[in-house]
Amino acid sequence: MTEVRRKKNPWIKRVLIAGLLALVAGAIAIWFIFTEKFTDITKREAAFTVNAMDFLKEFQTNDSLANTKYLEKIITVNGRVSETEAADTTINIKMIDTATDAYIIFAFQQQHLAEAKQLKEGDSISIKGSCSGGTYSEILETEFVTFKRCAINKQ
Amino acid sequence: MLLFALVGLTTIAFAQKKKVTTSATINFDATTKLDALPKAENKTVVASLNTKSGAVAFEAVVKNFSFSNPKIQEHFNTAGWMDSDKFPKATFKGTITNLAAVNFKADGTYSADVTGDLTMHGVTKPVVTKASIVVSGKTVTTTSDFTVALADFGVKGAAIGAGKVSTDPKITVVAEFK
Repeated sequence: MTEVRRKKNPWIKRVLIAGLLALVAGAIAIWFIFTEKFTDITKREAAFTVNAMDFLKEFQTNDSLANTKYLEKIITVNGRVSETEAADTTINIKMIDTATDAYIIFAFQQQHLAEAKQLKEGDSISIKGSCSGGTYSEILETEFVTFKRCAINKQ
Repeated sequence: MLLFALVGLTTIAFAQKKKVTTSATINFDATTKLDALPKAENKTVVASLNTKSGAVAFEAVVKNFSFSNPKIQEHFNTAGWMDSDKFPKATFKGTITNLAAVNFKADGTYSADVTGDLTMHGVTKPVVTKASIVVSGKTVTTTSDFTVALADFGVKGAAIGAGKVSTDPKITVVAEFK
């Protein structure tokens, strides 16, 4: 009887320990996923660096093609500030194609809101952000491209 | 010639009654006691207000709702939720039904009744809500809070059943028209 017990016990222990470890690992993984925050955009590598008006033209020509290429990608956009517009407690930056009124609009990441407030109309600027894609506005009757979590690109 | 000039002037006068912003904000709050993460903000909403007819409208790019947590944002856009690849915009078209109670020429805070159609996730449903309208010089700021029943818009996810996402998220729309 004693010999049988000696053979069974190590396996039960091993299974229990393995189960416990798996449980702890799972809990850590879930905790990590759901407490994770978006990285500061300045620390992200841009997938594309584009000129604002050329970029806008791609969307005006074929926005589904442009969306396939740029949607949810980190992009650096170089251009001139056409307008600054109040948005809640901060401001958004706009680059406008004056010929068509099509525009790109950049909403800044929380930790970079103060930078946006320093920008003025006419400033030449490089902005990095996450592209949410372009679409046609029925209200404005023009194409617009939106960005979220932006910051001034200082590289 | 005079007729053309008159038509032109009338058109300009009418057009001036329509105010537009491309930086209205929508806050989406689907938090529950179990989960504080399903909460997002979209700061690039296009909105319009016609002070003469009372017509109001907005359109929001769904992918531009910004969450603090990457996984929640990913879930929000997937086919099981907002399916933003298929339905990239949420829109509202409505009217202020008590327009006489709002004086856009005098500074003050007014309470407006708004009715209209909200379209999201490819489903259109009527919405009746109140809006606060603050007139300060040439600036008009409108704020409206309402809730949407996700099931009415065909949005059903396991997290809703598990109580981690509110069945009736609160939507707050703020638009500042200059």
